[in-house]
Amino acid sequence: MKPLQRILHVEDDISIQEVTKLALEVVGGLEVTSCDDGQTAIARAHEWQPDLVLLDVMMPGIDGPTTLAKLREQPSTQSIPVVFMTAKVQPSEIEHYLSIGALDVLIKPFDPMTLAEQLRKIWEHSHD
Amino acid sequence: MTDVDVQARLAALREQYGRRLRDDLQTMMAQTRELSEHQTAVKADSLETLRQGLHRMAGSAGTFGYAALSQDAREMEVWLQTLIEGSSQPTLQMLTALHDRVSNSYRNLERMQIAGVTEPDDSHPLASGERAIRVAVLADGDTGELIRSLSGFGYECRDLDAREIGADWRPDIAIVDTAKVEDDVWKPAVGAIPEAALIVLSAAGDFETRLDAVRNGAQGFFMHPVDVPSLEHRLRYLINLPQQDPYRVLIVDDDIELAEHFRLTLKQAGIESRVISDPRDVLIGLRDIVPDLVLIDINMPGCSGPELARIIRFDDDWLKIPLIYLSAESNVHRQAQALAQAGDDFLVKPIGDMALVSAVTARAQRSRQLSMALARDGLTGLIKHPAIKELIELEVARSQRTQAGACVVMIDIDRFKSINDTYGHGTGDYVIRLLANLLRQRLRRVDHVGRYGGEEFVAVLPSCQLENARETIERIRISFSQLECVAADEVFHATFSAGVASTREWPNAEALLEAADKAMYEAKQAGRNQTRIATP
Repeated sequence: MKPLQRILHVEDDISIQEVTKLALEVVGGLEVTSCDDGQTAIARAHEWQPDLVLLDVMMPGIDGPTTLAKLREQPSTQSIPVVFMTAKVQPSEIEHYLSIGALDVLIKPFDPMTLAEQLRKIWEHSHD
Repeated sequence: MTDVDVQARLAALREQYGRRLRDDLQTMMAQTRELSEHQTAVKADSLETLRQGLHRMAGSAGTFGYAALSQDAREMEVWLQTLIEGSSQPTLQMLTALHDRVSNSYRNLERMQIAGVTEPDDSHPLASGERAIRVAVLADGDTGELIRSLSGFGYECRDLDAREIGADWRPDIAIVDTAKVEDDVWKPAVGAIPEAALIVLSAAGDFETRLDAVRNGAQGFFMHPVDVPSLEHRLRYLINLPQQDPYRVLIVDDDIELAEHFRLTLKQAGIESRVISDPRDVLIGLRDIVPDLVLIDINMPGCSGPELARIIRFDDDWLKIPLIYLSAESNVHRQAQALAQAGDDFLVKPIGDMALVSAVTARAQRSRQLSMALARDGLTGLIKHPAIKELIELEVARSQRTQAGACVVMIDIDRFKSINDTYGHGTGDYVIRLLANLLRQRLRRVDHVGRYGGEEFVAVLPSCQLENARETIERIRISFSQLECVAADEVFHATFSAGVASTREWPNAEALLEAADKAMYEAKQAGRNQTRIATP
């Protein structure tokens, strides 16, 4: 199994973007590219070919689920796993995100010290 | 990067987020107040905006350690969601309750933030790091005076022989006296510590010497005799440089793709921006990001660039922000016509990425310097009299809400008139700047320091007991009395007298200032160079 290395993080809230970058790069030793909307994310995913996309659900412009759908339409990005991040906690919503093809769903707020570890577990689990 | 560094960076992000949270909650308080006052005209989209704000807060606050607030925001969001999905209009009681709830969250946040502020203590590390800033001075042994002065400001200074530099003590800043040390000695020494910022001291100030300093990578240049307050100011500037908030730009352009391209280009240069494609949204955009500069497309449907510029200029709050037109208009005459209406400058499209970034950076920087200068005293960079009075009123109000006492300190340089008479006004100004820098340096980041009059300063210390305030000021008083003030060919010492008053005894700003002033006067009467506490 290839170890998890490159994460594309899509999030419109700049504070969360910064703390996530710190949590993944500095604490977790991963490589992170951040962008703040779905449209840019689709282009970046194509160019940069990340191992995994960490995607905020609610964003201005095109939202998380739409971004996921567009990633799936593009041959160069269709098999990149996507993990959603959301402040919503209704179980039905989580089920919905899984049903449309998310690898997993992380709940906000998160602990910056363990975020990378959580992602690694999801990654390893998906390769079991 | 070590664990400690991660924690320090997390703490810095948390602090930054805390400030934003305050702003966001204040905005929501205003929005909900508005809603509850104009209940008949509640629009679905204003509720939706509010809901989105709460949603974002619910998701982010907990990550930065505000778990209770995150929970509050989530509950409000869910409640608002049902309101939006419901068919009936929200009642006045509902909206008032919502406003109360938001206000309550704001008060809780304030209580938390002020609780996190510790009483002032003995240590006074520079910048935000754990350790003092290290300054290496290379001047072939002749460094005593400079080192004493800088150490008084809390820098860790060493007189370094060029050969021993950089082994186990790596400086953040290197000061080289090129009048005393030969080029072939200091250049390799400085080359061995590339991370340190270089400041050159020189006997000559001609163009060639300055150019030579620049080519050697100097970030500061001072001539003998060295003006210590200016040097200290430069050190502070060099240390704080990377921590500056990014510039913020509002882009108003109906060509969304082009605007988006501008936004990305600016972003790559570290400039934050927001794109507004409908001129009608400009006032919201301005309030949201409080930009340092606005870029306006000149031809937009429904409202031209100059018309929009005039709308922005209606509001006093935005008078100081430069408005720059983006236009394909290269006809100078027509440009002048547009500028005659409102607006400050033109950038002609198509514009290259580099040109855009440098044009925006230069103007945003100027704009920020100007707005700092407006609220601050020119000589010391401290807050001016009217602004500091307003801050005192705010702190008094806050201390009443939070029950945490705040202190006000009045400080006056002793026998200032005789300093001026003996050494001249230039030296008087030097002493004022010296004290201003020392106060700024030694007080906590939450404290405010203002210049109250000629040689008079006032400090506001939130969340601080009277006795702690007295001790803090006493330590500063002692340091100040030990600093060497350099006149033309003479070294002398200056002192100050101070009076401290607490909000616990004086409940309003006016009385508080008066009490501190009276205590300061008592200190003068008792022989100067001392601190007195105001007693009712």
